[in-house]
Amino acid sequence: MSNYIATIGVEVHVELKTKTKIFSSSENGYGQMANSLTNVIDLGYPGTLPTLNEEVLNLAIKAATVLNCKIRREMHFDRKNYFYPDNPKNYQITQFATPIGYDGYVEIEVDGEKKKVYIEEMHIEEDTCKSTHRGEKTLLDFNRAGVPLIEIVTKPCMTTSKEAKAYLEKLRELLFYSDISDCKMEEGSMRADANVSIRKKESDPFGTKAEIKNIGSISNVGLSIEKEIERQAKIYDAGDTFKPQTRRFDDKLGDTVLMRVKETGNDYRYFPEPDIPFVIVTEERIDSVRKTIPMLPDERREKYLSLGVSEINTKKLIQNRSLSDYFNNLLEEKISHQTASNLLLGDISAYLNKKEKEITDTTLSKERFIELVNLIDNNTLTSKNLKEILEVILESDKSIQTIMKEQGIENITDDAEIREVIKKIIKANPESVTDYQNGHDRAIKFLMGQVMKETKGKANPKMANDILKEELQ
Amino acid sequence: MKEKLTKEEVLHVAELARIAVTEEEIKKYQVELKKLLNDVEKINDVKGYDDEILIAPWSNNTELRKDEPREMLDPKKVLENAPRHSGNYIQVPVVIGESEGA
Repeated sequence: MSNYIATIGVEVHVELKTKTKIFSSSENGYGQMANSLTNVIDLGYPGTLPTLNEEVLNLAIKAATVLNCKIRREMHFDRKNYFYPDNPKNYQITQFATPIGYDGYVEIEVDGEKKKVYIEEMHIEEDTCKSTHRGEKTLLDFNRAGVPLIEIVTKPCMTTSKEAKAYLEKLRELLFYSDISDCKMEEGSMRADANVSIRKKESDPFGTKAEIKNIGSISNVGLSIEKEIERQAKIYDAGDTFKPQTRRFDDKLGDTVLMRVKETGNDYRYFPEPDIPFVIVTEERIDSVRKTIPMLPDERREKYLSLGVSEINTKKLIQNRSLSDYFNNLLEEKISHQTASNLLLGDISAYLNKKEKEITDTTLSKERFIELVNLIDNNTLTSKNLKEILEVILESDKSIQTIMKEQGIENITDDAEIREVIKKIIKANPESVTDYQNGHDRAIKFLMGQVMKETKGKANPKMANDILKEELQ
Repeated sequence: MKEKLTKEEVLHVAELARIAVTEEEIKKYQVELKKLLNDVEKINDVKGYDDEILIAPWSNNTELRKDEPREMLDPKKVLENAPRHSGNYIQVPVVIGESEGA
């Protein structure tokens, strides 16, 4: 551990889940043939004019709402001027003076302690085209040009890599759950930059800042921050200083490397975008957007825990949006929610992963799932037998009990019937009974084996075990 | 009021525009750019717009577009307009450094 206090701020770009681009009606898509999703606006042809996509405005309002931001009612766009082949207009349309959201926060939990991460502002902007460097060539794909983005900027309010990671995880969860973005860092639909500086004491002025750009995963954000703190500490410890700079995280090196030194700061010559008049955000729009926000992860977490679902199952359910949505339909039902969550996360998840399916692709209706939960819960269906018939359950419409019958799974759950068999076994094996009474635990296993043999494995194991112990008293 | 920009100012603007300038051009631009700036500065003399940003010559709100995909360009046509391409990609010389935007 170093003897410095770190100051960390995070900037995140998120691609919005719209059908079309921010300022043009070409499709917003990923993984398509290069340069197949463009029109003259995306390519920056002279004389073209941008028109703002209504859904972008709605999703940005939604994001501002879930990030607890204040929402600006009257705003405009600005031009950020720079020359680079990824943007043939030579400017990016963004919001500089009037970001749609400001003064927000996200609550995180690190090592059991809750903390608010403050959001300075969030604004709407267009993505640039994707450039890939291949030796002497740079290849451009304009499918990404004009994809709508929101950029979310925190205050420099974090002090550890753990906090930064927790923030990003929370942000991803919130934006994903509210259908704002699919937040796939590996596909670039969520991209993070971290600003890091260090100083000796709280009372010292902030240290020199390094910005680490485009980090490809949340764990690498953590790692790059730790490496950067270490690097800066070494420089200061040696009595040296460094200039503000931009660095990137190199996956293979597992360390940050210098991209450029910011000598004079950026000179983007921002000015208001004259091609897009003022955007007015009405109360009606904010209200109607607010109604489309589904139950968010924190509320789900609280609900699940209150229904007796274990902490680990709650966490796992929330990590799987479609299972969590499915589970949400069962919140009002009088069933064991812990059993239900075990089923969803255990055997059913294994099946879904194997078949590469979602729960909604199966035939498991709410009614049949409730039947299944109850059958498992009252031991009519053992987990061993469930494994045998799960595929049939998830691929047919028959009731679970019908399937059990058809598959020859008849669990004897009749107390009297089991008790009769057990009495017979006890009579036939007096030595084992004596062994058990003398404290040889193994004897009960032998007796259980005999019971199962006698019933051809159909006795409900838990009931048989309980009755056997009773009868041996 | 200064008659011309400094050499450093011209070089800075050239750097932002990513263009190379000769000594002669620098001398020329020191005067020309300053003239341009002086002309633009006259806008500040206009009274009445002190408090609000004038971004468009009318005060209507912006028209929003429905999120519905419409016809796009044929990728072949797109590539025809680029000086060079490689497969379906538009090809440009390598520029060191990363994107400034986004």
